[in-house]
Parts: sequence; structure tokens; C-alpha cells
Amino acid sequence: MRKHDTKVITGNACSAYAVRLCQPDVVALYPITPQTEVVEQLARFKADGELQAEMIEVEGENSAMNAVTAASIAGGRVYTATSSYGLAFMYDAMMQTAGFRAPVVMTNVNREPPGIHAVSSGQQDMIATRDIGWLQLVVEENQEVLDVTIQAFRLAEDYDIQLPVMVNYDGYFVSHSAEAVKIPMPEDVAQYLSALEKQPKRMKLVPGRSMGAGSHGLLLAYTELRYKHVAAMERAKAKFDQIDKEYGDFFGRYYGGQIEEYKTDGADLILVTSGSAAGTAKTVIDVMRDKGMKVGLIKLRMFRPFPRERLSRALQRRKAVGVLDRSVDFGWNCGPVYREIRALTPEIGCVPMLSFIAGLANLDITAGDVEAMIDDIYAASLGSRFQETTWVSLEEKT
Amino acid sequence: MAIRKTFSYPYESAWSDADELLLHLDTGTWRTKRPQIDTDKCNYCGLCALYCPPQCMLARGDYFEVNLQYCKGCGICAKECPRGAITMVLEELSGKINAET
Amino acid sequence: MGVTRGKDMIQRKKRLPRVFDYFVEEDQFAGGNTFCAGCPAELALRTVPKVMGKDIVMVGTPSCSAPVLHGQNLGSWHRLAYYACVMTGVASSASGLARYYQRVGIDATVVCFTGDGDANDVGFQPLSGAAERNEHVVYICYDNEGYMNTGNQRSSSTPLGAATSTTPVGKSARGKRNLSKYLPLVIALHPVAYVATATLSNMEDYAKKLLKAKEKSKEGFAYIHVFSPCVVGSRIATDSAIEVCRMAVRTNYFPLWEMEDASFRFTYNVAHPRPIQEYLQLSGKFSHFNEEDVERFQEAVNHRYTIVDSLCRSGGAFEIPSVQATVSR
Repeated sequence: MRKHDTKVITGNACSAYAVRLCQPDVVALYPITPQTEVVEQLARFKADGELQAEMIEVEGENSAMNAVTAASIAGGRVYTATSSYGLAFMYDAMMQTAGFRAPVVMTNVNREPPGIHAVSSGQQDMIATRDIGWLQLVVEENQEVLDVTIQAFRLAEDYDIQLPVMVNYDGYFVSHSAEAVKIPMPEDVAQYLSALEKQPKRMKLVPGRSMGAGSHGLLLAYTELRYKHVAAMERAKAKFDQIDKEYGDFFGRYYGGQIEEYKTDGADLILVTSGSAAGTAKTVIDVMRDKGMKVGLIKLRMFRPFPRERLSRALQRRKAVGVLDRSVDFGWNCGPVYREIRALTPEIGCVPMLSFIAGLANLDITAGDVEAMIDDIYAASLGSRFQETTWVSLEEKT
Repeated sequence: MAIRKTFSYPYESAWSDADELLLHLDTGTWRTKRPQIDTDKCNYCGLCALYCPPQCMLARGDYFEVNLQYCKGCGICAKECPRGAITMVLEELSGKINAET
Repeated sequence: MGVTRGKDMIQRKKRLPRVFDYFVEEDQFAGGNTFCAGCPAELALRTVPKVMGKDIVMVGTPSCSAPVLHGQNLGSWHRLAYYACVMTGVASSASGLARYYQRVGIDATVVCFTGDGDANDVGFQPLSGAAERNEHVVYICYDNEGYMNTGNQRSSSTPLGAATSTTPVGKSARGKRNLSKYLPLVIALHPVAYVATATLSNMEDYAKKLLKAKEKSKEGFAYIHVFSPCVVGSRIATDSAIEVCRMAVRTNYFPLWEMEDASFRFTYNVAHPRPIQEYLQLSGKFSHFNEEDVERFQEAVNHRYTIVDSLCRSGGAFEIPSVQATVSR
């Protein structure tokens, strides 16, 4: 295994360390709880001469996204970070970033978006921005934050992809918790990312060259561009698997690519979730497996594009599936990832599927909660009538 | 039926390239009047060329020629000419004047 | 042909006026484009690369200039590099471009060209942010006093009492109810390198300011506010836009000044300002004005002019000490 530094740092600091290793050209900084440490740490790196990027302390997240997108179109490697309210504020700019196919990397620390004021963790912000053409990854814990942020640059800037990537992780649970993390050496990261230099050069905005970015898309060209965008997102699935594998070969840490399948061999029951809740779930699954319950976990790591093929394969021949969402799907009375997994029914057959909504606004998802969920999934697998959607925090324990 | 493999638009996102395709509109068809320059009065001060928004006053050494392909017929040249050397003449009539010259 | 040759040719001027010396590059814009006949913004836009050269990178956004600055599929209406973005992102995108070019050592002039709707309203926050950071960007706002591309809706630059489609004149309303924002002064109170007002009747003044802005953008933020009234929205004849600009200057409605390193000065002195009625009568959007409206408008003009005058008067009450806007990193 290659040489690493070990430090005890928070999830947010992991983002900053990863970005420093990737040596971006332009970084836009705007603070928002629970992301603030990311921009603070980056500013400190710059102040100490450890980061050479142009740091733009913008006056708002909308400006952050516009600034890094333009710098990306001019040819630079760029980065910014935000959360909930900031994510909402940069929405129009994000649509532009995706449509322009600018390989921007952005950390989004999951926090409940405006609507009910809360300075607490929740995945609704990520859900609210799923339909604009960004690639969205979700990670579970600090080491993964660092590794996936480095991989995000590799994925976004890949010539076949050229799409912006959002790296999501739970506010507070991941962003503010410190763990021991292995930090790769700068020369190793540079070598890892040098694969990009061997690829063809992407188009960029050059003064004096008569090309312009953001032309109107008229008539058929618009549809063609949309098609190409969707096709690129489709390619991102296999590409992410490939990148995860290459990263693992290079640095010694694999995560499974689009999904991690944890003890799913021979499992009749599957729980699907993402983010830090997966950590809790894994512990519970270990215990229940020891007790003889055939249960496994699928940790969703790529949310956009949706890992349709791998999930279909992973959910074959199961007796029941439960999906734990840290958000809601307005209009469907269930969780958003649940709804997307339900759409796989033609591929996996009519299996009892349960939606669990839990952990909104920093409410803990306890081991007891997960155990109860698995019990519900088990009961459903036996053929008993089940409730499609369970609001875990609101259910009265009978 | 399958999606065709070749696309009419070459790029992955909306880039334009003036070297490949420089667009123009035949704005000469917009006008109802055209400028007529009296070279007796014109002293080549250049104000018509200076103020013409679509830059349709072409310098020809000692006189200005109107670019009739693009002239929109706004009349700014006629209004701004300090010597009153330009008159706006209706399009239908201008052909007759030319024929007499 | 449009030219009649006379037998006695009068004395031709030996050379064109001095302003033509500022035009170092040929027109980078294609022949016919979608600007209305007689539009001063077209003149404003075409002049930019003529003075600043063809290596500029333009940043445009939905506005009257968008159908010309932005391409259509592969085709473009001009030969410049450009970045077309959302209205909320003009100055911020320009910041990103400028910073990247600085980082890799490309000497580029990034020029934003937007209307008053963007600069005053929806794009104001990023403009103010970029100005405060003193980004190395030129920002040109062409002020046609409203959202003209969408059919003459009011913006915060629309003057008091003006009739627009969102501030119409009817039984219970008589045009815009409040005074307008004076953006050039707002920007001048940011720590920027250069601010100027210009208009199309004073072309040499405009050309000089474009050149100055390009130079100043190497040090910091350069802002030019160009008064370019809308022929359609102001209901003026297609040949009268330059006259309206001229009258705006002569009535002190739109004084021509510049601020460089926190030092303000007039660039054009109006010895005997005309009463505002002479400006108002040229423009159809004020056709409903009665005497009281005119008086109120004149007060508004006087108010604004007095502030500008007190800043620009040299050796006057205000000796503003210069200040270094940005320290080296």
C-alpha cells in the first residue's frame, strides 16, 4: 500500500484535504453551516502557501457556482462547497453548469433545505436537485469523503463524461465528526489524476479564438444536446465503477462503485440506504446475521445517475426490500430513493417493498430503529400485510 | 426505430464557432427609406459613419458609400449630418432617381 | 447607389475626426443583426471591440444584446470569444474567467455587456460582489431604462413617471411611482479602479473611456454606464436616438463623468444646462407628463446632478483622498 499520512480530522476537513491534493485552479468560497470548515480549511491552506488556487470569496452561492463554472469552461479545474440553502440559491447556475458540461466538483454537506428552518442534517437538499443533470454521489464516512472527493475530479473531468459532480455527506454526523483518516501523498494523487492528461483535451474558452460558450440551442440541436447529456450520465455509471476499482488498485481502498453490497449473499431481506445511516445499519446487520436472520445491506453510493442495472442485479430473488430515506418524496407519500427502487419492479419482480422515513433534521437513526425496520421487512417477507411507508420517528411503539 | 447515430450538431454542449459559421441577417430588407448622399455638400467629416449603429457607412477615400445590404434605414446619418448632405429617400422612389443619373 | 456626384466638389476634410483614431480594430460583428433600426445599444456594442481589440472575452446574458452576443447553434453573430450565462451570473462568471486567466498567465480582457435590468436588478448582487473584490473585469451596462428585450417593462433604472408596460398610464396610474437607482455612483462607492458614464452622442468620450477601462481592468474593476435610450420603449423616431442622448447630457439628466482612483471629474462640461422639458418632450414615455410632473422630474435631475457635481468639482469642498483599493496578495 502506498504511503499515507494519518490524521484525526473531521469530514469537512477531509474535503479540504482532498481538494488540496487535487490542486484546483479556481475555488469559490462562501460559508454555510455545516460546510463552513471546508472553506475555512481551504483558506488556511492558501494562506500558508499550501494551495495555489485562485480563491474567490464570493458574496453568495449563486456567484460561487457561476464563477467556478466560467473558470471551468475557460479550462480550469474548479471546486466549491455548499449546503441546503446555498444549494437552492445556486440552482439556476447549477442547471447552467450541467448543460454547459462543465466538470465542476462540489461538496454538498447535506442539510435540510428552506421550508422549515433547521440547521440540521437531512438529505432533502440533494433530493431537491436531482433533476438538473448533475452527477450525485453520497458517502458514508470521513475516509470515503476524502477518497470520493479525489475520485470526483477524476470522474468529472473524464473526457467521456464532462459533467459536474456533487459529493454529498451528512451534516454533523460526518461533517463534524473527527476520525482517523489516511491521507495520500500529493505526488501519488498527481500520478493518479495524470490519467486525465492522456485523454483528448476538452473544449475551452480562449480569448482571440472565435468560439463562444452558451450558444442558443435551436430546433433539433437542443434535443440532440439533451440526448448527449443523458447519454453521458449513463456512461458515468460504468465509469464510476471503473474509477473506484482503479482507485482501489492504486491506494488500497475499494468501496464497491455505484453501490456497496454488504452481506447480501444469500440474503432474503435487503435494506437499502445511503450516507452515515449505512454505518449504523451495517452494525445491526452484523448482529442480526449472527442471530441467523438472512439480511443484507445495499449502500447507495451513486444517486445520479441512478444505478439501475446494478441494483436490479443486486435485488434479484429477494423476499422483501426496505429502503431507508433521510428525506421525503413530496407527491408520493414515501421516501425518494424508495420510489426510485420501486420503479425497478419490472426487472426484479413484485417483491414487498417498504419505505422508512427517518433521521430528518438531525434526529438519530438508532440501532434500535434499524432493527425495527428489519423486523418489519422480515414480517413483510412472510406475507403479512405491511404498511408501505413508515415515518419511523412518528410511529408509536406498540 | 432507433436513435440515429449521427447528429447535426457537432459538440457535446452549446458552443458556437464564428470561423465555421458567421451569421448575418439581410437587414437591408427592413428599411422603407434609404440614405441618399449629396457629395456637393459632403465634406467627409465622418459623423455619419461614426453614428451609424450597424456601421453601414463605408469609407471610400473621399466619400462614404452606404452598405445597402445591411442598412436598416433608421435615418440617424441624415439627422446627424452637420451639412444636411444626406436625405432619406423612400425605397420605391430611389430606383427612379438612380435611373436618371 | 444613394450617392449623387456634383460637378464642383467642395473642400474635403484632410482626415477623419480624432475619435476614429481610437478604432484600432475593424468591426467584429457580422453585417445585419437583430438590433432595432436606430438602436444606440448596437452602436455601443459594435464600438467595444473596435476600441478594445478582438482578443476580449465578452460575457453576455439574456437582454437586447443576447440575440447578437449569443450564438445560434453553431453560428455566431460576431468573431469574439464569449460566455453567455444566466442573468444572475454575469459579474460572477466574469470573475471566474478573469481569475482563471490570471492564474495561467493569459492576458485577457473580460468584458461584461449587460442591460440596466441585469446590472441594477437581478444581476446586482454579483456586480456589487465583483466590484467589492475589485476583480480585473470591465463591466459595461447599457442603460435603456427598462427591460426592453421583453417589451419595455420597468427596471430600477426607469425614471420617475415613465410609462412602461408594468408601470402603465391609465385611470388610476401615471407611470413609475418612484425615482430610479443611480447605478454608476453606487458602483463608484465600491473600491473599484474606474467608473465612467458615457453616451452615444459623445463618441470620442465613450471611446476614450472604453480604452481607459481596458487599461484599468488590469488593476481592478472598471465600470462604464452607457446611456442608450430604447427607440421602441421611448417611442422616439428611429433617427432620433443620438439626439436624445445629446439632450440627456445637455439637460444634466445624464452627466458625463469618470472616477479614477477615487478621484471624480466631469469629462464634459455643460456650460448652460437646458431645462429638462427639452429632454422629456423628445421621448414618448413621458408624453402624459403635466407641468407638475415636469417640475418633479426637474427636481430629481437637480438632486442627482448636485451630488455628482459636488464630487466632481475640482478644488471644491470635497478633496477626496485616494485610497489603495486592493493590497497585493
